[in-house]
Amino acid sequence: MTTETVTAWTTRRGAFAQAASMTARSLVSIRNQPAQLVEFVMIPLMILLSVTFFMGGQMMGSWQAFLDYAGPSIIAMGLFFAITATGLGLFGDLKSGVFDRLTAMPVSRFALLAGRVAADMVKHAWSLLIVGGVAFAIGYRADGGVAGVAGAAGVMLLFLFACSWTMVLVGLTAKSEEQIQTWMISLLMPLAYTSTIFVQKDTLPEPVQWWATVNPLTSMADSMRVFLDGGTPGGELLALLGWCAALFAVFVPLSLRAYRRKLTS
Amino acid sequence: MKYAIEVRGLVKSFGEVRALDGIDLGVAPGTVMGLLGPNGAGKTTAVRVLSTLTVPDAGTARVLGLDVVAQAAQVRERLSLTGQYAGLDDGLTGEQNLVLIARLLGASRSQAKARAHELIERFDLAHAASRPVAGYSGGMRRRLDLAASIVRRPEVLVLDEPTTGLDPNSRNGLWEVVRELVAEGTTVLLTTQYLEEADQLADSIAVVDSGRVIASGTPSQLKQTVGGLVLRLRPVRPDALAQLRDLADWTIGASVREEDATLFVPVAHAGEATALMSRVSQAGVDLAAFGLDEPTLDEVFLTLTGHRTGTDEKKTEVPA
Repeated sequence: MTTETVTAWTTRRGAFAQAASMTARSLVSIRNQPAQLVEFVMIPLMILLSVTFFMGGQMMGSWQAFLDYAGPSIIAMGLFFAITATGLGLFGDLKSGVFDRLTAMPVSRFALLAGRVAADMVKHAWSLLIVGGVAFAIGYRADGGVAGVAGAAGVMLLFLFACSWTMVLVGLTAKSEEQIQTWMISLLMPLAYTSTIFVQKDTLPEPVQWWATVNPLTSMADSMRVFLDGGTPGGELLALLGWCAALFAVFVPLSLRAYRRKLTS
Repeated sequence: MKYAIEVRGLVKSFGEVRALDGIDLGVAPGTVMGLLGPNGAGKTTAVRVLSTLTVPDAGTARVLGLDVVAQAAQVRERLSLTGQYAGLDDGLTGEQNLVLIARLLGASRSQAKARAHELIERFDLAHAASRPVAGYSGGMRRRLDLAASIVRRPEVLVLDEPTTGLDPNSRNGLWEVVRELVAEGTTVLLTTQYLEEADQLADSIAVVDSGRVIASGTPSQLKQTVGGLVLRLRPVRPDALAQLRDLADWTIGASVREEDATLFVPVAHAGEATALMSRVSQAGVDLAAFGLDEPTLDEVFLTLTGHRTGTDEKKTEVPA
């Protein structure tokens, strides 16, 4: 047998460096199977195209007017539904032997979860680039220019990042894949349809209007609109940042707790 | 420290099922213990408790003197697990899997690559190192899985059914690697359903059934608990088997068994075997082969539990 290199690495990389390794792990499998790149663009892309072309005309007179009003937030909604992938991916990881090995290693629990979330964020950013490019190609233009688009994209990705942690908790606690799908439909859909993603707030029934105001997706859609229109964001952006902070503050600790509980059950 | 692994009165229930019902184990440093038992005996639960993946309901488990619950983080630094289902990422290549583990353990990029290459060489995986693990054979998976467990040399290595489903050739290869690791000073706990595997690798064996240790000792001690020897008789003409069986029943009256045209007759001592042999020659039965053996661990298990390992109702796997 050959002489072995020293394997007692005394340096211990921090939780964020470990999370980066886990992120790379999820992304490397894309390099090995590049077809995945097409797969996760399909849902947000089809949502954008079908809603715009088939519903847009009826809702706002012409699909062009609808694309102008709702295009960016429909892209956001498509990506929002895609956060289910985080829950499903984590569920699959936990079921396979990989996470048994990783959990039995001296590796930060946070890193194992955050790596999955971060990798999915890279995928969301990719989807956004492609679907945004399609929106541009069919005629969407933002008054806010490049800076406005960048601001809106940043706001959207930040919100998705915060929401992904709800899916981490779902992935850790779900009993089956079907359960995760059910959660998605029954939670994310009503949330999306009672926000200003599709409709202007004053067209909603009175009791729903209050909810639409506080709905985090409304804060996201409104913040994006302000950026895209070239305006200066104010209250809606603060509300969104508040939502993101709250989601992190609640769901990161809950997820870590659920992870620990998995060990004692 | 007397024991590298010390388990006292370990209990773990899953709902109604008592997977561990007061297990006691002691593994001396630098030795191999085989945890032997059929499916559902509680072997995997014991392994999960030791590798900090499951918290027990009662009892204590110490690894290198460290409590697996209170000092779980320190245990993870020094113990490595090779689970029953390969702990590998199917989407990654063999090399990427090993690099990931090394990186998580604190290696720099170049250290990780160097260590991965070293292990790939050692485990004879060079031809497949750059292919995704999804396409690996069972034997390659197991080898890579074991390599992943020693990316950083553990002081204690836990192997959960390391050779289940492997062909004899791959199994021998894996045994060889385990022996090397032990020679280098690693303490090993391995679970197995294969008596031969425990006999081959283990310095001591604990036989587990329904969450309890029902017998323990060295392989030869266990065989002695069954007592006696086994006389093996193979007649030249297979139709003489019935006649041999009559002779054996008349002589000793013990439960003989027949396999591959050979009769296995338990005897209390060598003298009984000699007496039977002379009766066989007096009866004029020609023997193609005969011999006096120690009982196999399969026979040990039958004696201890009243059921054979291979005929357990829940058992679904086919031994390789």
